[in-house]
Amino acid sequence: MSAGFPEPLQFSFAEWVNHGVDWLVLHHGDQLRSLSDHLLQLLVSLENLLRLLPWWLVLTLVGLLAWHASGSLVRALVLSALLALIGMLGLWDKLLQTLALVLVSTGLCVLIGVPLGIVLATRPLARRLVLPVLDVMQTLPAFVYLIPVLMLFGLGKVPAVFATLVYALPPLVRLTELGLAQIDPSLLQAAHGLGANRWQRLRRIALPLALPSIMAGLNQSVMMALSMVVVASMIGARGLGEDVLAGIQTLNVGQGVEAGLAIVALAMVIDRISQAYGRPGR
Amino acid sequence: MKRIPTLLASLLLAVGLASTDSAAADERAPIHFGAIGWESGALTTEILRLIVEHGYGYPTDTLPGSTVSMEVALARNDLQVIAEEWAGRSPAWIKAEQAGQVFALGDTVKNADEGWWVPAYVIKGDPTRNLPPLAPDLRSVDDLKRYPQVFRDPEAPEKGRFLNSPSGWTSETVNSQKLKAYGLDTLYNNFRSGSGAALDAEVGSAIRRGQPVLFYYWSPTPLMGRYDLVRLEEPPFDATAWATLTDAKHPDPKGCRSLPAKLSIGVSAPFRTQYPDLVTVFEKVDLPIDRLNKTLAHMSETRQPARDAAMAFLRDNRAVWKAWLPTEAAAKVEAAL
Repeated sequence: MSAGFPEPLQFSFAEWVNHGVDWLVLHHGDQLRSLSDHLLQLLVSLENLLRLLPWWLVLTLVGLLAWHASGSLVRALVLSALLALIGMLGLWDKLLQTLALVLVSTGLCVLIGVPLGIVLATRPLARRLVLPVLDVMQTLPAFVYLIPVLMLFGLGKVPAVFATLVYALPPLVRLTELGLAQIDPSLLQAAHGLGANRWQRLRRIALPLALPSIMAGLNQSVMMALSMVVVASMIGARGLGEDVLAGIQTLNVGQGVEAGLAIVALAMVIDRISQAYGRPGR
Repeated sequence: MKRIPTLLASLLLAVGLASTDSAAADERAPIHFGAIGWESGALTTEILRLIVEHGYGYPTDTLPGSTVSMEVALARNDLQVIAEEWAGRSPAWIKAEQAGQVFALGDTVKNADEGWWVPAYVIKGDPTRNLPPLAPDLRSVDDLKRYPQVFRDPEAPEKGRFLNSPSGWTSETVNSQKLKAYGLDTLYNNFRSGSGAALDAEVGSAIRRGQPVLFYYWSPTPLMGRYDLVRLEEPPFDATAWATLTDAKHPDPKGCRSLPAKLSIGVSAPFRTQYPDLVTVFEKVDLPIDRLNKTLAHMSETRQPARDAAMAFLRDNRAVWKAWLPTEAAAKVEAAL
């Protein structure tokens, strides 16, 4: 007990949490493991698929995608060159592992975040309840929930996706909600007057108008997902984060910088392509 | 607007005055111990502090930090004692030792050990928990060749999973080379656990669920005292083979047991000259590993603060610590228990 605060008023719920986690591991550990094995299969097969592609094909695909998204040949070349640079640093395999992790987690982010943002924008009660939860997700130190999650779901990629999701989801939800809330209500009323139903109003009016804000949210999610790569490697998810971590732990600053810049390059590639697709009037 | 800086300045001044006051009150500056985060280090720190405080009446306190930052602080005499120092393992320590800024005293835990372990129930089974013996003939690392499917890796199901230490640890290189040397690298996935906490959590979770797990670990640790674990036999230590294991790029490593770890008490050069009485004690410190593991297990199981565990250790093992101390100091510690 610490001094300076009346002792009768002090309490600790640490024991309950400890018992709760122990109980979960003992009684539901095996079921949760088999659940996590399914998600793991998805991740591993995506990773293996990426590995099957020869490097030049990946670079070409990224180039084509960037060109298709932005219409600019220079940009497509620069982005492929960035990826090629990571390969030249000898980090190609780790790049693919990180890419698989980030793709799956941002995919899940979009699947959960955008609908959640729509709900928050239309239901004030849900908004009041969920916003504090988002605050918790963004500020609770990752290791606090990572270690119990790891005990339940196993070491490696699955808790890494979980951690990334917790951390990267809030900006997308918030910005989706903000984008929808800022739409001029008279536009929606006009659409209503013209006989558009709820779904049509959302799909044809609200979402396109909110798109810049949603895309800004996606950008933030991608950036945060990539910044979690190092934390993910601390719980056994392989990839670029592993090199950063090893670099730090052995005072090999050079190795850390190489892998760190590779993460930045990957972030830029994913972001530029997704942002180009999201630009209005494309 | 001007008022705030003035206010801040006077506040700072007040804090400054208050702190000089309290410093003047203690005639002797306290001995700063590094607040080691892992259990055996935390326990040793508290055992030494209790002896120094009660036996010799010197005030002590602890300052937190990571291993490397504590070693750097010791070299600059910002810290005076690191109670569990794996001397000679980190570049920061070696540099400071060569410069004569730090000293490693004594050999605090004999038979400190590292190696590859499996829970005993994997070999013998556990009728009370309905666990069959999955690998009944597993004795040595060579026997692992027969059991990759027992330790199946969910990420690559055709292989087994060997839980290595996090990348960046010296032991990670050694274990990776050992996998090659024992011909296991094609049968087992070399799974780096990312961080010490993650390794602990995974091993602890597997043991609680009664699942087979093959992992690198070391002693003295709570895990060793808490569970029934079996160390897989390896060829005896051999210096030339060891050199091939520590070199990550060696193409043809030879396997052998790891270099026996030497745990010492790290002290700063000024401490060594200022407290010769404590230096003699520290050189004699010898913690029997079995009792240490048991105390650590109890401490981690009941989540006991290190200071209480140290008190209990001193109370239960009087003969152990009395051998280190002169009679007079021993009597003072005895009186305080």
